[in-house]
Amino acid sequence: MRLRALGLALAFCGVCEAQTPAPTASQGTADAMVLLRKIYQATEKLSYSGTFVYQQADRTETSRIDRVAGPGGDIERVEVLDGMPREIVRTRDTVRCYLPESQTVKVERRIDQRAFPGMLPEHVSDLARNYTISRGERVRIAGYDCEAVLLTPKDDLRYGYKLWADAATGMLLKARTINRKGDVVEQFTFTQLAIGNVPRERVRTRNGNAAQSWRVEDAAVAPANLARAGWTMGGELPGFRKVTEVTRRLGEARPVGQMVFSDGMAAVSVFIEPMAGRSEAVRPGLSSLGAFHIYTREVANHIVTVVGEAPAASVQRMANQVEFRRPQ
Amino acid sequence: MNERISALMDGELERREAGGALDALKHEGGARDAWRRYHLIGDAMRDTRLLSAGFAARVTMKLGDEPTVLAPRAKPLLEQRRWQLLSAAASVAAVAFVSFAYFSQDPAAPAVPVAQTPASAETAQVAPPETANDYLLAHQGYSPRNSLQGMAAYVRTVSSDARGSRR
Repeated sequence: MRLRALGLALAFCGVCEAQTPAPTASQGTADAMVLLRKIYQATEKLSYSGTFVYQQADRTETSRIDRVAGPGGDIERVEVLDGMPREIVRTRDTVRCYLPESQTVKVERRIDQRAFPGMLPEHVSDLARNYTISRGERVRIAGYDCEAVLLTPKDDLRYGYKLWADAATGMLLKARTINRKGDVVEQFTFTQLAIGNVPRERVRTRNGNAAQSWRVEDAAVAPANLARAGWTMGGELPGFRKVTEVTRRLGEARPVGQMVFSDGMAAVSVFIEPMAGRSEAVRPGLSSLGAFHIYTREVANHIVTVVGEAPAASVQRMANQVEFRRPQ
Repeated sequence: MNERISALMDGELERREAGGALDALKHEGGARDAWRRYHLIGDAMRDTRLLSAGFAARVTMKLGDEPTVLAPRAKPLLEQRRWQLLSAAASVAAVAFVSFAYFSQDPAAPAVPVAQTPASAETAQVAPPETANDYLLAHQGYSPRNSLQGMAAYVRTVSSDARGSRR
């Protein structure tokens, strides 16, 4: 309890800090927006090969990434080099996640234009509603001269972000997610990067032949109207709006409903699944994985699981807004 | 012996007799029981009851619901337990008061976070669901991070740490 009081005290300090007016002039904001737009465009347009490190709490993982952009369609491949082998390959409309140890391929197909990418560069100015956008210092990362942009949240419902991008191309070299105490909750950093020509064979799965005999878990995503089934949100999380609403499968067979809400930087998913047919016991409560929080509760004989790259209170608040009314 | 304990409490024993009674308190469970019972009776008669009926039981229940974060549980010595509980109850009450005082003394604290933060503070912290990776992966497809940094963001969601990834 005493710890809680301390935690609250720290939380309030965070609020006070967040409320101090940012020193950024509007010119700085405009500059920062230009850089942010450049980052989104680079992510969409560039081909590159590199190695990056992902850090979260005491977890540090190195991954290899290759991306080919071009008229033949963009293909991107990520391979995690530490720990359990994992490979993710995205083609124009499909993401495949290869897990050699469990001999599983998880497949997800995009059903509408809104799905990937989550946001278009022309919507960058919308971010200014929830974040103060400003420029940071110039630093050198993995051999590139980088410019920084900061997204400071205007309330405590979301995290802050600091992004470093190559001044010449806009390629994102480092990204930090920061909580309101100023702690880094997760970080991506490129340690090596080559922008430009990437041979196509680099983005082909290394598991192609073996995976033919693996179990395929197809998400079978389909558009849905969960309100018609009786599921609604009793309120809204300020700044977050509904991005998509689907039914899908989780893992091997569990059918679930999924609603996704986003403020342009962060997203929160609400999963609703019937209690019947669950193999594991339901443990209501909150769990944390880096920048993610997962909150589970029971509503009308269903399990509601809210997953969000947002502070615990936001994820929990959204979970508590889920309501069921028997359809007429 | 019980009479002597009672007399000891009332300060009616000679020094030598008192020594014997204190000795008994040190070594005899029955004497200690009598000591506690008489104090309880005394408190009740003087109407100095501090806690409502069943308070200790409710605290026990609440404590039982709390995750164990302290040292391993002591041996359940029943005769000690009641006193430990009462003292625990007193600490809980004291800390609750301190927390409350903290809130009421801080006029600058914004109303909304006060209303929200305790909710998360009271929430049970649980291990991620067995199928955490399934949820994370399903979520990642719609994350705006994809358009900011491409597939790199996916490494967050296929963690080997999250349980269930080796099913």
